[in-house]
Amino acid sequence: MEQFKIETIAPLSVAGFDLSFTNSSLWMLISLLGVAGFLFVGTARPQLVPGRWQAAVEYLYDFIRDMLRENVGKDGLRYAPLIFAVFIFVLACNLLGMVPFVHSFTPTSHIAVTFGLAMIVFILVVIVGFARHGLHFFSLFLPEGTPLFVAPLVALIEFLSFLSRPFTLAIRLFANMTAGHVLMKVFGGFVVSLGAVNIGLGIIPLGVNVALTALELLIAVVQAYVFALLASIYLNDAVNLH
Amino acid sequence: MPQFDPASFVSQLFWFGVFFALLYFAVVRPTLPKVGKVIDARETQVSGDLDRAEAAKGQADAIRTAYDDGMRQARDAAQAAVAAARDAAATAADARLKQLAIRLDADADAAAASLELARASARAGLEDIVTELTTQAVAKLAGIEVSAADVSAALAQR
Repeated sequence: MEQFKIETIAPLSVAGFDLSFTNSSLWMLISLLGVAGFLFVGTARPQLVPGRWQAAVEYLYDFIRDMLRENVGKDGLRYAPLIFAVFIFVLACNLLGMVPFVHSFTPTSHIAVTFGLAMIVFILVVIVGFARHGLHFFSLFLPEGTPLFVAPLVALIEFLSFLSRPFTLAIRLFANMTAGHVLMKVFGGFVVSLGAVNIGLGIIPLGVNVALTALELLIAVVQAYVFALLASIYLNDAVNLH
Repeated sequence: MPQFDPASFVSQLFWFGVFFALLYFAVVRPTLPKVGKVIDARETQVSGDLDRAEAAKGQADAIRTAYDDGMRQARDAAQAAVAAARDAAATAADARLKQLAIRLDADADAAAASLELARASARAGLEDIVTELTTQAVAKLAGIEVSAADVSAALAQR
């Protein structure tokens, strides 16, 4: 589990809390800088006929906007920048964690970070829900047409499932990233141990690891997509109440 | 697993909050709306262009119909002019023919009259010759002197 170890780079303590700048912070910073570079270059001089960088930014932004338009409707487009920020942050962290040889670290393989991301979505949903519907937002917990005698039970279940959303959102991303990285590490270990027995035997887990790398890249993108998709589906509840 | 070590949670959440806030407020907010604006501008431009193209097509169609109408009118007018010219030419020819016929009739009448005149004078001359011939023949055959007046009277009796 050495690849998930948090290493302090610059110790910092404020009011008894340990706020040290760690390798996790470093890779979040690198992700931030990468995304910032991408976005600033892509939108430096926006033109009607886009250049390559602008086309790339537009492609991703359109992707998020289409997702919101489909799942939330026209009202959802207001939240496109925030969902885009969540998406691109998860994507950058996931992908940069796959860079070999540079002691890369995947912040999204840590539940604290994924929980932070999930809470952003959760808080957004709660704020938007109450802002748009006031106390009527609670009707989310009682689907229309529920028979009266099961209403308390249904409301309780709906409420718990609503509360569990940030946890499932956080755990899904964290578990996917962690499992993938562990798997790669395990097969990497096989390469060494089997290669020590016979150099030919080491080829097999190496080949598996090549395939796993491709799979991990896919999962890195898919999980960012899933995170943004679920965020927009939850947002739909807040905007349209089922 | 280091993921479940709460010791690093505060630091991770703190830096996550800092960087995400930076990402959202300092990177995404200032940049993305620009692209969104461009995308919207492009959409309006494209739909505007399509509308203009539609209008231009309508105009072209109208011009085309007007052209067709003009052509048809011109063709009709030309045909009418040709027909009128043909009629005028035909009437003119008829008139000339009629005139010619009248003149020819007149000529023919004149010729007939002069022929008649010639025939009459010839007949008159013939009478004189016949009278003279008769006088001489009578004188030579019968030895009777007959005056020309008697011969003419005798000829006229027949």
